[in-house]
Amino acid sequence: MESLEILWASTGLANFEVGQIVMMLVGLGLLYLAIARGFEPLLLLPIGFGAILTNIPVAGFSEVGGLLHYIYYAGIDTGIFPLLIFMGVGAMTDFGALIANPRMLLLGAAAQFGIFATLFGAIALNAIPGFDFSLQDASAIAIIGGADGPTAIFLASKLAPDLLGAIAVAAYSYMALVPIIQPPIMKALTNEAERKIEMKQLRHVTKIEKMVFPLAVLLMAIFFLPAASPLVGMFCLGNLMRECGVVDRLSNTAQNELINIVTIFLGLGVGSKLSSEAFLNVETLGILGLGAVAFSIGTGAGVLMAKLLGKFSKDPINPLVGAAGVSAVPMAARVVNKVGLESNPHNFLLMHAMGPNVAGVLGSAVAAGVLLALVG
Amino acid sequence: MENLSSVFAEAGILMIVGMGFVFAFLSILIVAINILAKLSIKFPDPVPQVRRPKTVANVDSGAVSPSVVAAISTAVAQYRKNKIKN
Repeated sequence: MESLEILWASTGLANFEVGQIVMMLVGLGLLYLAIARGFEPLLLLPIGFGAILTNIPVAGFSEVGGLLHYIYYAGIDTGIFPLLIFMGVGAMTDFGALIANPRMLLLGAAAQFGIFATLFGAIALNAIPGFDFSLQDASAIAIIGGADGPTAIFLASKLAPDLLGAIAVAAYSYMALVPIIQPPIMKALTNEAERKIEMKQLRHVTKIEKMVFPLAVLLMAIFFLPAASPLVGMFCLGNLMRECGVVDRLSNTAQNELINIVTIFLGLGVGSKLSSEAFLNVETLGILGLGAVAFSIGTGAGVLMAKLLGKFSKDPINPLVGAAGVSAVPMAARVVNKVGLESNPHNFLLMHAMGPNVAGVLGSAVAAGVLLALVG
Repeated sequence: MENLSSVFAEAGILMIVGMGFVFAFLSILIVAINILAKLSIKFPDPVPQVRRPKTVANVDSGAVSPSVVAAISTAVAQYRKNKIKN
C-alpha cells in the first residue's frame, strides 16, 4: 500500500499545479498557431513544445540538471544562439537593392522610431499599478518594435532575462502578424495616387561593392558602436561568406544546416523560459500590448519618412516601401509588394522594398547596440 | 511620482539620443556606400570582361575568319588552274 502511495506521488497527476496546466495550454496554443495557422512555425513550434516540456511536474527540465536548463544557459544566456542565427541571416541577405539605392537606409532608421517610442510607453505603463518595468526591462520590450527575432532575444538575454520568454513570443508572433498589422496602417497614411507611384529601376551593383559593404559596416561598428559589434560582426561575417564567392560551403552551412540546428535549440531555450511564474502575470499582457504598439509606430514612421524623402527626391519614391523599414525580412517587403499591386497591378515594389527591409535589420542592430551601450 | 518623472526624463533622453544615433550611423553609411559606388566604377565586375572576349570570339567564328577565306580562295584558285589545264 505504501509503495502505491509513493508511486502516486511520483505521477504528474499528483503534482500538477494550476499554473503549469495553464502554461501547457499556452504551449499547445503556440503549437496550434505554428501548425494550423503557419505563424513562424520554425520558431513557434519548438518554443511551444519547450513550454510544454518545461512545465512537466517532477521532470525538472528547467532546473539544474535538466536539458532545457543547459540549453538555455549554454546558448541564450551567453547570447551564442541569437548571434549564430544572425550569421545565418547575414548569409541569406542580399544587400544589392540597398547598395543600389543607399538613401533607403533612412527608411530603415525611421522605422526604429517604433523601438524608442515604445520604450517611452513601457515606462509610462509604470503609472498603472501592477507594472514595474525598469529602464532595462523597457528597453528589452521596446526592441520588439525592431521586428527582428534574434536581436530581440539577444538584447532581452542581456537586459531582462526574466522577461525573455514573453518578449520572444511577442516578437515572433508579431512578425507572423506583419501581413495583418501593416496594411491598414500603410493605407491610412497614404492615398491612392501615392500607392500607384512607380519607382525607377535599380542600377546594377558590382561584386566588389557587395564584398566591401559588410566590411564597411563592420568598420563603422568598430569605430562608432562597439556595443553593437557582436550582432553586426556576426551578420557581416555571414554576408561576406555569401558575397566573396570562395567559401560557398561555409555560406551554405550558415544559411541552412547551422541556422536550422540553432533554431531548434533557440526555440527550446526560449520555451524553457515560459514557466508559469515568469509568464502568467500582468506584465506579459503589457509586453504583448506594447509589442503591437511598437510594430505599428515603426511601420507608420517608415511610411511617413518615405513620404518626406519622396518630396526631396529627384526619382519618385513610393511611400509604401517605408513600411518595409521594420526588418521582418522578407515578410514586410512582400506585404509592401502586395499592397502596391492592389493599387497598380503593374507596379512591382518587391526589389525596392528589399532595400529598406535589409536597412531595417541594420537599423535594429544599431538600435540594440545603442540600448546596450546606454542602459546595459 | 518624482521617481517616475525622472525615469520618464531618462526615457525621453534615451529616445532622442537613440534615434539621433541610429540616423547618424546610417547616414554615414549612406556616404560610405556612395564613396564605394564611385570607387567601384574603377573596378568593374570581372564577369562581363570575361564574357566579352568570349562573345567576340563567337561572332568571329560565326562570320568567316580571314584564314578560312584565304584557304578557300587558294583552294578555288588551285581548282580553277587544274580545270584550265584539263
